[in-house]
Amino acid sequence: MGLPDAPGDLSSEVDVDAFRRLFPLRFYERHLTESIRPDGRPLGRARDTTIALGAVASAEGSALAKIGSTTMLAAIKMEVMTPSMDSPDEGCIAIDFHMPPICSPIVRPGRPAEIAPVVSKQLSDTISSSGMINLKELSLVSGKAAWMAYLDIYCLDADGALFDAALLSAVAAFSHLQIPAVSLNDDGKIVVVSEENGGKLEKDAVNKERMKLTLKSIPFSLTCVLHKNYILADPTAEEESIMETVVTVVLDSSSQLVSLYKPGGPVLAYTSAIQDCVALTRQRMKELQKILDEANSGMEVD
Amino acid sequence: MAGKPGTTPTTYSPSPTNQKIRRPIFNENEVDWVRPDGRGFHQCRPAFFRTGAVNAASGSAYAEFGNTKVIVSVFGPRESKKAMMYSDIGRLNCSVSYTTFATPARGQGSEHKDFSSMLHKSLEGAIILETFPKTTVDVFALVLESGGSDLPVVISCASLALADAGILMHDLVASVSLSCLGKNLVIDPILEEESYQDGGLLITCMPSRYEVTQLTVTGEWSTPKINEGMQLCLDACSKLAKIMRSCLKEATSTSQE
Amino acid sequence: MVGLSLGEKHFIQGGIAQDIRSDGRKRLTYRPINVETGVIPQANGSARIRMGATDVISTVKAELGKPISLQPDKGKVSIYVDCSPTAAPMFEGRGGEELSTELSVALQRSLLGGKSGAGAGIDLSSLVVVEGKICWDLYIDCLVVCSDGNLLDALGAAIKAALSNTGIPRVQVAAGASGDEQPEVDISDEEFLQFDTSDIPVIVTLTKVGRHYIVDATTEEESQMSSAISISVNRKGHICGLTKRGGAGLDPSIVLDMISVAKHVSEQLMNKLDSEIAAAEAGEDES
Repeated sequence: MGLPDAPGDLSSEVDVDAFRRLFPLRFYERHLTESIRPDGRPLGRARDTTIALGAVASAEGSALAKIGSTTMLAAIKMEVMTPSMDSPDEGCIAIDFHMPPICSPIVRPGRPAEIAPVVSKQLSDTISSSGMINLKELSLVSGKAAWMAYLDIYCLDADGALFDAALLSAVAAFSHLQIPAVSLNDDGKIVVVSEENGGKLEKDAVNKERMKLTLKSIPFSLTCVLHKNYILADPTAEEESIMETVVTVVLDSSSQLVSLYKPGGPVLAYTSAIQDCVALTRQRMKELQKILDEANSGMEVD
Repeated sequence: MAGKPGTTPTTYSPSPTNQKIRRPIFNENEVDWVRPDGRGFHQCRPAFFRTGAVNAASGSAYAEFGNTKVIVSVFGPRESKKAMMYSDIGRLNCSVSYTTFATPARGQGSEHKDFSSMLHKSLEGAIILETFPKTTVDVFALVLESGGSDLPVVISCASLALADAGILMHDLVASVSLSCLGKNLVIDPILEEESYQDGGLLITCMPSRYEVTQLTVTGEWSTPKINEGMQLCLDACSKLAKIMRSCLKEATSTSQE
Repeated sequence: MVGLSLGEKHFIQGGIAQDIRSDGRKRLTYRPINVETGVIPQANGSARIRMGATDVISTVKAELGKPISLQPDKGKVSIYVDCSPTAAPMFEGRGGEELSTELSVALQRSLLGGKSGAGAGIDLSSLVVVEGKICWDLYIDCLVVCSDGNLLDALGAAIKAALSNTGIPRVQVAAGASGDEQPEVDISDEEFLQFDTSDIPVIVTLTKVGRHYIVDATTEEESQMSSAISISVNRKGHICGLTKRGGAGLDPSIVLDMISVAKHVSEQLMNKLDSEIAAAEAGEDES
């Protein structure tokens, strides 16, 4: 915060931290005129992002994604279900987003965060409409058995851009997912082919070996905060609370627009602002794609 | 795709969780059986602690013992709930929950009431509640993955998180459990060992003061065996406390740089 | 919370230090125990225990069920405690819930043994009718009618008394059922099997006030405690469960000393309780 304070104003008399707490908006605007943010980022830059795959051993697929200090842990548990009548050869995905009390001072036990179901819905809409996963790949025996993938995303640390981090951890968990080898037993139930039996395949083996899903057109997102004419990419929780207009753009890996959310807010965005957001997202998408590829290739080496 | 509304099909896990025969990992007469993870009977899993895992909290810690992974956040001291009566000492509020994917079979992810109250009882004796009158300190724990000895890991991790939050305590609280399998006592049991234990013993203590804040025993024990079990746990607690202390020292030395 | 003046607190603490408590008892003396059995006719077994003003009722209900696949040779027992709002002012509303759970968990820990079922006071394998198919499920429900301290010991004693009062109907299994079919059963309404309660431990709670420990503390005395340890001991003198209450730390050597004191006290309590139960049962048969 080594910015020179303009004279003739209260800010030259009070401590920087006090000024930040008392006049958060003025504090931010002062920075924005200098095209820099209090954490030292230029307006259009997202925070450092990392992905760690396979964080949860008890799940079939898992990933830990961090954007700045926002941390998401996603894990997929595979269970078997009877597919519905209208889509007998398709599996199913159930996505749930949780904000446990550990992640933020505003969440208390027994009083769930209001935003959690919203993000949950956005995530399942985005993942289903992106067509990333071919549900037919989750089929086991047509009309009899199919996979139900339970994807649970836990927010471990909430510091803004929750949806971006949640989506990133979700797609990373899918890229890490290993569907176990299973066979049909005598009772008509699907059981995992355990390694102890020497992987001996019975004649009813449904899935001969562990397999990965083919992910096409992976969706990536970027949330921007709009304030006056400024666009701030990847806001922190503080920025989100001070400047309330948020735009989230989701693009898939071939730069097609998957979805766009602008839930109200005091700033009415010009179409040019939206275009700028999309342009920022396109850049971000390439960054994220690279980070995800690196995480996956890192896994293969191990 | 994400489940048509109103139709949640019943699902089952394909893993053979309901093995009918208890795996004979040890024999009554056989002395030299090995534990599933190859540890000695009186050997704990390597413990890993890190403070400051959650930025949004006043203090936090992450602990990893083998496959048991826990994260604890501490908030406060902050305003007590409106309905609370005046109190001239501080309040401690604890909650322990599991993620849905923590256990081998998919769970509900709800609060673990029993553990919450155990965590409260283990910590309240160590915290100097007089230092924050009228306010509440919230200790929230989330078990990311359950790999056995979950509660002791939560307790140790929580005391580290409290230290990270700068809450005054008489001493760190370290906790270790052991399982009784036949004639043998195995310390820091994993999930598999816990599932067929004949008895269990859990100690939480303040190692520097050499005081037990919480002790629970299940199963049938003779007095010499309780003595042996308690001694094993207490020794392990003091070793654990050393690791916890060095973790705290490391955290402060890096933040000073 | 009990509102006590400074003088009253000193009186209680001083009395305990001099081995003469407010009601004239010594530190390790129980209040007179009053046992009534068969108080609830609808249940398979029931008992009411009064120790001073502490008054608890325990009932046992037996139903046929299916053993869980992990333990096909064992029946199931569930223990649940309810604190009536009339028992103490602090139980009003949801106030009793936390205590109810705490007591339920402590009783389960004391009576049901380890995860494998070893060391259980209640012999679960005696509850099996057909292995892997049919077993008895025991539902033990306890009600705290009036609370004046030492609830856990009273509840433990009530469960023991209720179980000795319990008659489980004899079951005839129709032959011929094979494979996965659930065999048909015929429940006798005349012949009852008595439940073996000799292995059921008694629970002794030692409450530490100042530097001394007392048994069977009243609510007033409990308000002065620094910590308490509940130890369940069976006839063999083995410890079957241990729970600590109260936040204050204890030196491990004190814990061990408390365990040995509890073992000593438990013998007297066990004998006392057995004779009271026998007397109550005999009284019930006569009437």
